[in-house]
Amino acid sequence: MLVTGIKSKPVYAPLQADIGGRYHLMVGLGVGGDPLLRVIGEMRAAAPRALENTRVLYVPDPAPALTLAHFKSAGAADVRTYGGAAALLEDFSALLHRSLMGTRLYVAGPESFIGLTMKIALEFNLNKDEIRAEECGTLARRVYCVHCRATTEEVRTNIVRCVGCERWLLVRDHYSRRLAAYMGVMADAEVPGELPPLKEVFL
Amino acid sequence: MTPLIKHFTLAPPGGGNLPAFSGGSHIIVVMRGAGRVHRNPYSLLSAPRELERYEIGVRRMEESRGGSHFMHDTVRVGTRLEIAHPVNLFGLDKIARKHVLIAGGIGITPCLAHLEDLHAGTVPYELHYSVRSPEHAAFLERLQRLAGDLLRLYYDSEGQALDAGTLLTTQPLGTHVYVCGPAGMIKHVIATAKSAGWPDSHIHWEQFSAPPAGDAFEAFLARSKLRVHVPPDRSLLESIEAAGVEVPYLCRGGVCGFCRTRVLELDGELIHNDHFLSDADKARGQSIMPCVSRARCTSLVLDL
Amino acid sequence: MNAVFKAHETFRDDFTFRNSPQAIRRFPLPFPDDTYMYSVNIEPHLPGLPGSVTQFAFDVDEHYVAECRERAIVLAAEPLRFQALPHMMSAQWDCLELIMESLARDYPAHFSLKRQGNRWHWINRPLEIEQRFVFGDAATLPRQPLDYITRQAQGDFVVMDQREGDLWTEAGMVTTQADWSLDFDMGMTFKEWHGPVPLAHELQVFDRALKFLLNLRLGKPVRRLNWTMTIHPRLDTSPENYPAWGKDRASVTAQNAGDLVHLRVELQGLWRLPRSNAIVFGIRCYLLSMRELVTVPKWARRVHRVLKNLHPALVDYKGLARYRDVVVEWLAPFDDGTPTTPGTAPE
Repeated sequence: MLVTGIKSKPVYAPLQADIGGRYHLMVGLGVGGDPLLRVIGEMRAAAPRALENTRVLYVPDPAPALTLAHFKSAGAADVRTYGGAAALLEDFSALLHRSLMGTRLYVAGPESFIGLTMKIALEFNLNKDEIRAEECGTLARRVYCVHCRATTEEVRTNIVRCVGCERWLLVRDHYSRRLAAYMGVMADAEVPGELPPLKEVFL
Repeated sequence: MTPLIKHFTLAPPGGGNLPAFSGGSHIIVVMRGAGRVHRNPYSLLSAPRELERYEIGVRRMEESRGGSHFMHDTVRVGTRLEIAHPVNLFGLDKIARKHVLIAGGIGITPCLAHLEDLHAGTVPYELHYSVRSPEHAAFLERLQRLAGDLLRLYYDSEGQALDAGTLLTTQPLGTHVYVCGPAGMIKHVIATAKSAGWPDSHIHWEQFSAPPAGDAFEAFLARSKLRVHVPPDRSLLESIEAAGVEVPYLCRGGVCGFCRTRVLELDGELIHNDHFLSDADKARGQSIMPCVSRARCTSLVLDL
Repeated sequence: MNAVFKAHETFRDDFTFRNSPQAIRRFPLPFPDDTYMYSVNIEPHLPGLPGSVTQFAFDVDEHYVAECRERAIVLAAEPLRFQALPHMMSAQWDCLELIMESLARDYPAHFSLKRQGNRWHWINRPLEIEQRFVFGDAATLPRQPLDYITRQAQGDFVVMDQREGDLWTEAGMVTTQADWSLDFDMGMTFKEWHGPVPLAHELQVFDRALKFLLNLRLGKPVRRLNWTMTIHPRLDTSPENYPAWGKDRASVTAQNAGDLVHLRVELQGLWRLPRSNAIVFGIRCYLLSMRELVTVPKWARRVHRVLKNLHPALVDYKGLARYRDVVVEWLAPFDDGTPTTPGTAPE
């Protein structure tokens, strides 16, 4: 079965300001703050008025290099910080309820954070033309066990023990936006105990 | 039903049901006139749930190539017409959180079918209908029954106009806009939506334009080994069909890409009138959409 | 097909499934030549020869009752093999209409559909089902429309919504799949869903297929064949149950290859649906053991050659790696090197 090189794996690109949008909603975690600041800088240079309609939601890393002050001094109109991703995503969802057509979403941070953000954005019919995502930080994955349907978080290795059924799962590149997770399938179903060597690959 | 619009109801000759369809679909009506065959697309305005008949509305076109005149002047109760299976290039987006429908004149026809589905559903919507004057407003009773307060009418004669700018900058995320009517109105709505930051995927439009006329020209069909003459008031597609060669088509309006034909040789220039080919494709000159495009040339050879 | 239904054959545990000689002769061999590579091998789904699997819109054969029983077993253990997003209800009704109309028209001895406006009366004699209901009113059926009717049809069904220039997998009944999960793939676009297929993307197979399908027209369905291999006549080779069937792949020997190894062919049909403008993808599964295959000499030679020369990426993707060589060896004595005629008809 194909494990890598699968076309459903999300592709990310460095964030760029989209001046065609009327409202700009920026969401970031940890080192994702840097790309967001960069985009704010681009907007200040190319279309400063856009900053009046720019909102930032940000989770500073445990050792915060970036703070609220950084974003405010960069010129964003409305900046909020959160202790963790869960609180940010709740606020994010409420914000989308009140948002209007013409909104552009910028997401930056580790892949699993991006996935959870996109999952909410999907409910509001935001599509790829309205969303830009840049991956930075850890590549650790969320893995959905196709056998017991449990999701194992923070997976950095090519095989992992499922938190639900305890089977060893092969971590594939097949990705579901709906579940915001990669597929995990039993690694030794054909010959029990025959496992590939454990490797750290999603660092 | 209005000075310009005639309402037709079509039913199968032996009774029974017509094929089911989705709101926004159109049918191609084949009209065999004296000396030429017209194949015009008309939106189905009837309720998708009621299959004993199809209803269409035809606007009498001043500079007509004959199709609308044929419908208005020649077709009577009892006339038999040939129609094809419905095709939908203007459907509602099923996961939209709101629909905004904008219609002008005869463009109200696909919106009527959409209204039947919207009226029965729970997704919020609005319908904005612009016409010259009250006597030109077609199907008002049906519109008011289905849409009620969600219908806004604009009469040019009374100086009323849709404020697309305000409309399109105040819609919640996940709204889709659908516009059908004169070319100028469509262009204006699309431009307004884009400058308000709407992505292309949320802007839907359908245009009922006749293929533009132009100077006469000739084309040679390489595989059929036929020379085809294209008069000023007939499209390349119609001329090819009149010569007995079939070309696949769906919309006959330069939007769907179905009739895309390879250009093997060209000595002159192609006049692209379609909305399907990219600018790069048009510049390359290797493809043409015969339903609406033409040429100014001394030689044109097509892969047909 | 004038079938006597083999109601009690099984696709699990004791695997009593067998093909009659008639079923073998009509098997849809997917290899017109001695080598195989992907292509967009779509053709109009027009009526094929009488008695063939393509004679009718949906083929009902001697395994019909047994397959419906097998589906019920899968669903009892795993209800999530059927899923449908809320906005796909009109597509569900479209599918119910398509399947009921087709079966009643093509197999009047087994199925009947009487309609008075929206009041429909459906009879399925092989499964002893009689149902009166109001078309369009889900409360008048014991299950959701797509769930209800696909429990009375052979093969899987996937329904894709068309919007934003793409196709979205948003409803389906999937219990006889070759190793893909509807639950995981729900909501994926056409190319995402086909993500795990190697090589085909580079060959632009999916770009062309998508473009074609976006223009699929009412009244003009298409079909194609796909294939893989399965150990035992097991229909449910889902990723969900891989822990149960995975070891079968390592159990093939020179002695048992003829009985255990099955060619698994999918006859895929695609229809545009009228009210929803969605597309339904029917995936009808046919199984043939190697022992049954070699009763047709031309097929024995052909399949030996196809398997022997199969591209390594396909060997891997189709899950054949552990037993391909054993099967090729088992088939070798049936291949005397005589040329095979093009096309799939037995000589």
